[in-house]
Amino acid sequence: MTNQLPARPVEQVKDLADVPSFPAVYAAALTPRRGRETSRRDPVLPEVTYRVRSVRIDAERAASFDHLMGGPATELVHPGVLHVLTFPVSLALMARGDFPFPLLGLVHLRNQVLQHRPVRVGEQVDVECRVRDLQPHRKGRTFEAVSTILSPDGDIIATDVSTYLAKGDGGGEDEARSSTRSRRRPFEPPRPTGRWKLGADAGRRYAEVSGDVNPIHMSGLSAKAFGFPRAIAHGMYTASRAFTEARVDLSRPLRWDVSFDAPVTLPGTVLVSYDDDREAGTVECVGWRPGRGDKSPRRCFEVQIQTLG
Amino acid sequence: MTLPDSPRDALILGGNRLPFARSGGPYAGISNQDLLTAALEGLVARYGLQGEKLGEVAGGAVLKLAGDLNLTRESALGTPLDPRTPALDMSKACASGLETTVHVSNRIRLGQIDSAIACGVDSASDSPIEVTPRLRRILHRAFAAKTTGQRLKALTAIRPGDLAPVPPRNGEPRTGLSMGEHMALTAAEWGITREAQDELAMTSHHKLAAAYDAGFFDDLVTGYRGLSRDQNLRPDSTLEKLASLKPVFGVKSPQVADPTMTAGNSTPLSDGASAVLLGSAEWAAEHELKPLARVVDSRMAAVDFAHGDEGLLMAPAYAVPELLDANGLSLQDIDLYEIHEAFASTVLAHMAAWESEQFCRTRLGRDGALGAIDRSRLNVAGSSLAAGHPFAATGGRIVASLAKLLHERHRETGQVQRGLISVCAAAGQGTVALIESVDL
Repeated sequence: MTNQLPARPVEQVKDLADVPSFPAVYAAALTPRRGRETSRRDPVLPEVTYRVRSVRIDAERAASFDHLMGGPATELVHPGVLHVLTFPVSLALMARGDFPFPLLGLVHLRNQVLQHRPVRVGEQVDVECRVRDLQPHRKGRTFEAVSTILSPDGDIIATDVSTYLAKGDGGGEDEARSSTRSRRRPFEPPRPTGRWKLGADAGRRYAEVSGDVNPIHMSGLSAKAFGFPRAIAHGMYTASRAFTEARVDLSRPLRWDVSFDAPVTLPGTVLVSYDDDREAGTVECVGWRPGRGDKSPRRCFEVQIQTLG
Repeated sequence: MTLPDSPRDALILGGNRLPFARSGGPYAGISNQDLLTAALEGLVARYGLQGEKLGEVAGGAVLKLAGDLNLTRESALGTPLDPRTPALDMSKACASGLETTVHVSNRIRLGQIDSAIACGVDSASDSPIEVTPRLRRILHRAFAAKTTGQRLKALTAIRPGDLAPVPPRNGEPRTGLSMGEHMALTAAEWGITREAQDELAMTSHHKLAAAYDAGFFDDLVTGYRGLSRDQNLRPDSTLEKLASLKPVFGVKSPQVADPTMTAGNSTPLSDGASAVLLGSAEWAAEHELKPLARVVDSRMAAVDFAHGDEGLLMAPAYAVPELLDANGLSLQDIDLYEIHEAFASTVLAHMAAWESEQFCRTRLGRDGALGAIDRSRLNVAGSSLAAGHPFAATGGRIVASLAKLLHERHRETGQVQRGLISVCAAAGQGTVALIESVDL
């Protein structure tokens, strides 16, 4: 036994007293900053970790989340609850003055959660958020916001990786390489197994349980102010609802991967199709806007859940 | 397929319930479906039933929302059970939980299914609140109207009084009396004393606390929402404290000279859920589950309480002798008695009736009294006065606990142990069941 710890890369850690509130983060994000224009041409992600210790997972909030998703209030926490727990922490990081992209223009492309063990309501966890992996994209640049949920003894419980697109100049020389991956795939809708009728208030209702009051979700008017013709549903609402409807055994380790294609406009109807593979322990869900007239159906999201071990 | 010559055994393999909470307590804001799903999930986890296709899940709730018509099915679908497991909702007031056990055990005995879960749930915290019947009819007329004018005309009939929300009826529709008021009449008729009721209540608390302390519930209860024991349990309950409480039932009844029923010797409104796993011997062996007890038989009775011919909660006093006779047993042949403590006076009135020559001769048509029971064998791990009583969840609580108690005593004594379950219910009904230990 030795009290000498192995050498670790020096990491700048900013400890927050508590999970920040969304309105404060969004307000900060709207504050104009000097130097952002230059940084966008040669952007660099801040190498800093935002950390909040001993965050209690509130049972009442978890129950409201479960109920909104149409599921029972479970003792083991829906990973979407963990996502909304960490989200304001990573937002606070992205609202920093030295963050190269405007927060309110970011597009959520993908979300990948790997959960190693179940989490109970009432449990206290630590949250760490970082940003990494800046990549060129045909519409701009992508990066990952990585949130890690840890138990008080430092064991990683879950990792939540959100891939965002910052629209703008992504650097022409990279376009050819990234375009094949990023171009819209042709979509042949499968047979729908369910229909979601989402009211005009779907964004406000998710904001109530998640705290995410991003104006593009709140109303048609506030969405217009930020360049969207109509309010759009939170991507993580659709992903979380699909997770609930997939009827996952929360006692097991799991992966929960989501990719977002087109926004779900509100009010609106989404058709969903589930495909269960019991042998493989996977459930896949695709959600799309039905075609109407000469408008062809448009895929909005794909969700895959896999129970592991 | 032909029926077997004699019915095969329906075996109780185990159970799981949530700690019961007081209404408005830690389960406030939690629905029946939440509670039932949690109880079922705990059972699935305890017995490794993930992905298992069972013969049936039968359950129900007493205070039930109209939208919860498939409450049991929806709850089962929320668990890792195979989604192709059929489910059934049943309802018989407080006897719902015991009836689900009897129902699935009958199916197993007849060879229709090999495995089942009997379950029940209730949440007084989230009970349905409806609109007045008048408002409902006006709204239906308005919905059916063909023109806007007709619709407006229908809606103008609404009066302010129609808008008051209607909570669940707390009482018998045919008498206008609450269950407690009914019981107060019966208690007075049988001369059940305040002291006897308080003592029964205190004993219930002490026995439940002792059972928790001994770890008896470690494999019967799964914690939920921060609760690991029944919230109503008061391990330090004393006769002095109980004696200090004011009577709450019978205080308005002229027939009750000296009201005796208090909040201490009556069950509180509660939230909770319970589930019991049953199966055939073959199914249990295949799944390497050790059977605790077999469901031997069951009887139901109902009394005509509406015009006072009999007390509202006295039906089990009739059903138990019928069950014993059918199985060639005397009341004293029973090793453990589980008489649901709706009120302390209910249990005492049933026992008084069985001890009464007059009741047994005139009401039951017998030669004499059934006699007294050994009180040390009654509700030995506590009952509803201490645990609380989420109506449809009580049956499952009793069945799983008694099966385990009988099994433990069987192993100690080497003898088959018989247990009697008696549950009274609203509307003058009662369900009773006989179970006995197995040592397979």
